[in-house]
Amino acid sequence: MGRADGGNRVTRGRGHAEAPAISVENVTKLYRRYGRKRAVGSLKSALLTGLGTRALSPDAAVPALTEVSFQVAAGETVGVVGANGSGKSTLLRLLAGIVRPTSGRVELRGRLAALLDLGAGFHPEISGRENLEISGLLLGMSRGEIAARLPEIVRFAGIEEFLDAPVKTYSSGMAVRLGFAIAAHSDPDVLLVDEVLAVGDAAFAHRCLEKFSEFERAGKTLVFVSHDLSLVSARCRRAIWLDHGRVASDGPAEETVALYRERVAREEGQGRLEVAGAPTARIGSGRAVLESVRLRDGEGRETRRLRSGQAASIELVVRAPERLSDFAFGVGIATVAGSPVLGINTEADGLRPEELSGEAHVVLEIPALDLAPGLYSLDAAVHAQGGAPYDYRRDLLRFEVTAERASLGVWSPKRRWRGEGGVRWKP
Amino acid sequence: MMEPLARTLRQRALIVALTRRELAARYRGGVLGFLWSLVNPLLLLAVYAVVFRFVFAPRADVRPYALFLFAGVLAWGFVSSALIDSSETFRNNGPLLRKTTVAPEVFPAVAVGARLAHLLLALPVLAAATVFAAARGSIVAGAAVLELPLVLLLLVLTVFGLALAISALAVHFRDLRDLVGNLLTLAFFVTPVLYPVEAVPERLRPFLRANPFAAFLTAIHDSAFFFRPVAAVDWLWMVATAAACLSIGCAVFERLRDSIAEES
Repeated sequence: MGRADGGNRVTRGRGHAEAPAISVENVTKLYRRYGRKRAVGSLKSALLTGLGTRALSPDAAVPALTEVSFQVAAGETVGVVGANGSGKSTLLRLLAGIVRPTSGRVELRGRLAALLDLGAGFHPEISGRENLEISGLLLGMSRGEIAARLPEIVRFAGIEEFLDAPVKTYSSGMAVRLGFAIAAHSDPDVLLVDEVLAVGDAAFAHRCLEKFSEFERAGKTLVFVSHDLSLVSARCRRAIWLDHGRVASDGPAEETVALYRERVAREEGQGRLEVAGAPTARIGSGRAVLESVRLRDGEGRETRRLRSGQAASIELVVRAPERLSDFAFGVGIATVAGSPVLGINTEADGLRPEELSGEAHVVLEIPALDLAPGLYSLDAAVHAQGGAPYDYRRDLLRFEVTAERASLGVWSPKRRWRGEGGVRWKP
Repeated sequence: MMEPLARTLRQRALIVALTRRELAARYRGGVLGFLWSLVNPLLLLAVYAVVFRFVFAPRADVRPYALFLFAGVLAWGFVSSALIDSSETFRNNGPLLRKTTVAPEVFPAVAVGARLAHLLLALPVLAAATVFAAARGSIVAGAAVLELPLVLLLLVLTVFGLALAISALAVHFRDLRDLVGNLLTLAFFVTPVLYPVEAVPERLRPFLRANPFAAFLTAIHDSAFFFRPVAAVDWLWMVATAAACLSIGCAVFERLRDSIAEES
């Protein structure tokens, strides 16, 4: 058996069962950027400057992806991580066939469902049932399949009693649940998911994850983009890190995520990246608005670097255009990977609201910040009692906690070791 | 070469569903709902009937003129509104295009489909008015009306071909919509919508006939108003126009297809 054959055998050995579900070969994607003069293409200008391909040719092309190659075997779950603008969404859109590569080849085997935006194409004026049918058709289901799976979809989304109401009467959570339910039940061989778990509540996120596990067990291929690094390392065996449109790392999820985290931490340390990863999510009715949030050390100096065990304070500057009598303020701290560390609000802490109007400053004082050294992300919110947000901002700012001594985890309390009996330490 | 047409046909279930959505969304808010689609043509017909009975002297050669006008205006309304809608369709459906794997051909098809539905919903009004006129002895209805469906089919194919080209080009040329609007206003007057071809001086007729829509309007008036068989030359013109518009539309669309999701 010759060498060439031996080289082939690797792929053939795996391909014996199946060819790769996804194959991306040397793909480059350039987006056109038109010069200012042609920001809006017009037929008149095209006629004046001479009609032809010149009118359609870009003044400059911006690469979104550069020479990207990888394969995904059938049944694999792959996470894609990277900063905003690194090409993750472009990659999914290429895989979905929505846009074509400028050069290179993208191949997919089997039925595809792309969840790039839950509820994309929902029309507010028509009922959930009618929207469901259209979404199903968009995902390539036949009318028969849609009808057969309708009860299951509706149950999964938990919208039984709203099925025939127009979608404009749905809460955003309901619309998202319906969108996911349809895609999850379209029985795809390859499922592409773009950061959809960031929306919706915890219970729903949990159900989505269960569905993903089900996919995995059924041998389906799953590619998902997420900013939630702990989710990626927990859920995926493999992860791909995209950096400025190139594959920076492709391998076991934990390794890739660790490499990416290291880079994020380094860049944050240099203060170059205000918010790496997650885009600042902001939801709420706007009846009260968070104008700014300041983090201060024990001396009252504004800072992004705190010392473990020292005092700190968080100041929320809030503006309420109209007088509110139902309000609460919340603060959340999470690791940059997304694990919650602290979640508190004034309602739970027993403060009863009387009036909020105009500009207000709310200060949370922490006598000793017992956090382990590391990077943390801060959420802040002003909301109604019970939780309906007026202004809820996730990952509003990131700060670093330093300590003299290294420790793992998130908690680093004041502490002392003692020994009795036959143990002694050097003085 | 006719790939866009083939894809459109494959996606017919989605096109039907989206067309229904388009109509449902348009009418659902109102009290009268789908009745609106009958009210509009009825009002139009009533206005014509009054104006051409009491204000303008009706043409002597086409009686009742209001009915003649109504048939022509319904058909022309379909053509012009479908083409204008298709020039905006990708802009209005940006999220669907960018976020789902839908074939872009679907959108011009829906633009044409929704307007076709309006036309079909107005046909009963035309039929009722025709029956009324026949009962009064103003016209003598005949079997030639059976040719109307085939004429309309050719018209739909023509309009869809143009819609493919216009929708794809409009992605690159934002002012195409205005251009299409202006050209349609112009075309309205050089197409026999308001007048029969016979009303045009003999020496100008060849110019009029060069307009492919002239054949369609003449055929519609022949089959649905005069109740005489459509002339062979008109059939020829219509088939040739439909074939040409479809091929050109498909070619233009196929050429620009990849850029549609990116640019709209």
